[in-house]
Amino acid sequence: MLRRKLFRDLMHLKGQMLAVAAVVACGISVFVSMSSVRYSLEASRQQYYSRYRFADVFMQVKRAPEFYRESVGGIPGVASVTTRVIADVTLDVPGLDEPATGRIVSIPEYRGMAGLNDVFIRKGRYIEAGKSDEVIASKPFMEANGLVPGDRVGAVINGRKKELVIVGMGLSPEYIYEVQPGSFFPDNRRFGIFWMGRRSLESALDMSGSFNDLSLALTHGTSEKDILMQLDHLFRPYGSLGAYGRSEQLSDRFISDEIKQVGMQITILPSIFLGVAVFLLNIVLRRIVTTQRDQIAVLKAMGYSNEDIGFHYLGFAMVPTTVGSVIGTSLGAWLGRGLMNIYGDFYNFAELVYYFRIEDVALSVLLSFIAALFGAWSAFRKAVEMPPAEAMRPDTPVTYRPGIFQRESIRKKIPVPIRIIVRNLERRPLKAALTVIMIALSVAILVAGRYTYDVTDRMMLVEFSEKHREDVTIVFRDPMPFSVRYNIASLDGVLEHEYYREEPVRISFGHRSRRQSIKGVESAEGLQRLVDKDNRQVVLPTGGIVLTKTLADILGARPGDMLNVDFQQGRQLRRQVMLAGTIDEMLGLSAYMNLRDLDRLAGDGGALNAAYLRIDSSKAGGLYSKFKEMPGISGIMMLKALRKSFDELIAKSMNTSTVILTSFACILAFSVVYNGARISLSERARELTSLRVLGLSTREVSIILLGEQALLTGIAIPLGFLFGIGLSVLLSLALSSELYRMPLVFSAYNFIFAFVVIIIVATVSGLAVRRRLVRLDLVAVLKTRE
Amino acid sequence: MDDGTRQVNGERGLVLRISDLCKSYVMGEVTVDALRHVSLDFFHGELAVLLGASGSGKSTLLNIVGGLDVPSSGKLFFHGKEITAATEAELTDYRRRSIGFVFQFYNLISSLTALENVQLVTEISEKPMPAEEALALVGLGNRLNHFPAQLSGGEQQRVAIARAVAKRPELLLCDEPTGALDFQTGKLVLEALEKVNREIGTTTLVITHNVSIAGMADRVIHLSSGEVTEDLRNASRLSPSELVW
Ligand SMILES: Nc1ncnc2c1ncn2[C@@H]1O[C@H](COP(=O)(O)OP(=O)(O)OP(=O)(O)O)[C@@H](O)[C@H]1O
Ligand SMILES: [Mg+2]
Repeated sequence: MLRRKLFRDLMHLKGQMLAVAAVVACGISVFVSMSSVRYSLEASRQQYYSRYRFADVFMQVKRAPEFYRESVGGIPGVASVTTRVIADVTLDVPGLDEPATGRIVSIPEYRGMAGLNDVFIRKGRYIEAGKSDEVIASKPFMEANGLVPGDRVGAVINGRKKELVIVGMGLSPEYIYEVQPGSFFPDNRRFGIFWMGRRSLESALDMSGSFNDLSLALTHGTSEKDILMQLDHLFRPYGSLGAYGRSEQLSDRFISDEIKQVGMQITILPSIFLGVAVFLLNIVLRRIVTTQRDQIAVLKAMGYSNEDIGFHYLGFAMVPTTVGSVIGTSLGAWLGRGLMNIYGDFYNFAELVYYFRIEDVALSVLLSFIAALFGAWSAFRKAVEMPPAEAMRPDTPVTYRPGIFQRESIRKKIPVPIRIIVRNLERRPLKAALTVIMIALSVAILVAGRYTYDVTDRMMLVEFSEKHREDVTIVFRDPMPFSVRYNIASLDGVLEHEYYREEPVRISFGHRSRRQSIKGVESAEGLQRLVDKDNRQVVLPTGGIVLTKTLADILGARPGDMLNVDFQQGRQLRRQVMLAGTIDEMLGLSAYMNLRDLDRLAGDGGALNAAYLRIDSSKAGGLYSKFKEMPGISGIMMLKALRKSFDELIAKSMNTSTVILTSFACILAFSVVYNGARISLSERARELTSLRVLGLSTREVSIILLGEQALLTGIAIPLGFLFGIGLSVLLSLALSSELYRMPLVFSAYNFIFAFVVIIIVATVSGLAVRRRLVRLDLVAVLKTRE
Repeated sequence: MDDGTRQVNGERGLVLRISDLCKSYVMGEVTVDALRHVSLDFFHGELAVLLGASGSGKSTLLNIVGGLDVPSSGKLFFHGKEITAATEAELTDYRRRSIGFVFQFYNLISSLTALENVQLVTEISEKPMPAEEALALVGLGNRLNHFPAQLSGGEQQRVAIARAVAKRPELLLCDEPTGALDFQTGKLVLEALEKVNREIGTTTLVITHNVSIAGMADRVIHLSSGEVTEDLRNASRLSPSELVW
């Protein structure tokens, strides 16, 4: 019988119960989708790494004799060693006017000999031994350029033009995130990985019997640090750039950061949603128990036990939570799959498997039921503890105070309906405050949801127009003397040219050190400028070094400190340089010096590694074909193309996450506002009906009821803006890493958007409640006593 | 209230005409006839008491007269205007301008003081009496700033009366105004009602279960199973203080 009562009551309260279920569903779906995405990414990565033998330790050297492979293999703790030859080359891709850049990585002639960092063949076949022009190309590059096995690509390898035949489409655990060295953004049309037979590449590069890339797998329990030190020592004479582990491997670094970020989101959003669910259940259930106090009394008088009655009221919490869990789990499974597809656009896995785990579902459902119990607890206690006799009596009358209308003069000016509203709020300040906080949280989610949008905009602005004004960057294969500028200047169509030197070093301060390259720039005010994440230009002082703030923090150094710099190449000098300043950049870790200072520090005659060019767009075509043929260039970057490619990539993921967050925030806001108004309506139906009887119109009465909600919403919006900023700060802290730091930027649009959405949501829920208000039966309400 | 509007069907002072009013509630197979062919006329300044057993239809009649409910058939005229044909907005207006209600359970707004409860009405009326004056009329001139919870039941009911009469309604409808009160307090409330009726000339309908209250009325109407069974005029009105029960 109680079950039937529960069912009827729930049907009667279906709007409110659905609102609770919706909030639970949002929380669960975020939790479930994010946990399963995190697990799927981790598991896919793990499988990929072990299947294709991703190395543990990496090192690039200028050139080392092949027999070192044996000596390295003999180091205790090294499980296997793979040596390779790797070269960056300029490409002439059919259908692409601009030159592209390829990284050619050597692989064994025979598949069976494959060592570490194996290649997964998605389409086509492995190379055939003895065919020196056969290559496997990376999947993102081939897809971006519409290439299929059998297509040909021109490449300038070691100054000689060569036709490469693509025989297969491949993927490697080394390049899950495939970006050009020195860049953060993938441009798959203009940068790709190629795998070529070791013998053919050696001879093309004149590297017979030598290697320039070393990968190691370590046995379990080996100290990575020891191995790195031994390698550095062993290969120092061979121009080693320093050995490093997976944590500094670019692609792994990106994925690890991504997984960590997903992990952060598992906690933040679901906690907010479950918190709101607790609040909603609390107010809704307490109201139910209050209105049904006489029923409780009668039931108890009839002999139902306290437990029966308590569990009956717990049912009010369990039913919407169950409904929310079911919806949330299905929604979460679906969202997770969608998110995995988006990750699939950024990260190139051989196989990105979506694992939907029952553990995640179980955990989230458990959490939401705990939340439900928590929310229902006080109502449960109230129902259980209420002695039947007391239950028959009306709820203790509430006392009102004149409050802020104490003074006659103030009172006179304020219309009665407003006084009613304010006194009601004054009477239950805690409830009013909680309602305001809940609405503010929805506003905050809206603001924070769009915050990432603003950050991306800022990043685009800083990286693609404030920091860089060049059209093209060309990277020289070998360090060039000062005179290279005359050759470049003589090219038809070059309007401005500016050079930099990039010197691999190890910077240390105290006992902390870091592999890093120092960028020596001719000017920090020309084509390239130093701009921090707040879009402020930073001057580069002479005589010292400027580090990204995060890097300085890693080293524990402050401006004025003297840093040790160990040059890895050339004369391999150990020098000291003063930390002249820091720059709080958005991306990566950098070290900047004046070109002349760096040359002096390196103790050589000076060298240039790359050039920024501004070119005459009408002559771009001619320049591009020249670059395609030019020997001595190992990489070319097109700023605008990079921007466009990144824009396209990011747009999809941004839109998806904004839509999800916006809808969730709307559901949250709607649930809170609607429930708040419904409860006021229930608490004050009698009063409002009396007002109608006294001759107030439905409109006037609505104003009293909804005015309260409007006032609360009005207070909540600015508060929500503050919360939103706070939540964004939290996000920026949680999501920042060595690769990426989020500036605090908020566009006005962001707040306007949140404002408009909340107003719409509040209006809709207000209208829904108003419909009930209009339908209130004037006679029925007056028959009963309060 | 100029005299022109009171000339209805040539009868001086006719305020309300109830003509052949029926109200039935259909609940599944059962039909409850709450009112059957009730016809009554009420005149200016009249104080009428409605008596009848529980369930005889008194409240139903009063609610229809007050525009809170609609009849199944029959008509209701207020100064010749057909209330039964009014729109929702016109009904609101009718309640706002012309009707004062007093209920058994006071129905005060708990978040407003006595004075403010009255002001609630005076703010939206055309020619109200000052709220203070209305409260003085019911003997509560010194309790203006008390909240309902700080007043006794009888005092609350008197505030409700002050609130009902402050707009100078033409029709005051009271549904068991003393139902929740003891004898002494009930008397105070009735005195207030009587005083308002005498001083402002408001046509007053009082529902009660208490036959002895009938003594203070001009007219006593009996309802039984939805029908008017008796409609008597008292030769003289007693003052509430003379009532015994
Ligand atoms: N909403 C309703 N639905 C069905 N029947 C109703 C409804 N309201 C009233 N009735 C019935 O109409 C009849 C008249 O009710 P009404 O409330 O007018 O009686 P009353 O004379 O005021 O009684 P009391 O003195 O107990 O207040 C009763 O039989 C009642 O059961
Ligand atoms: Mg009644």
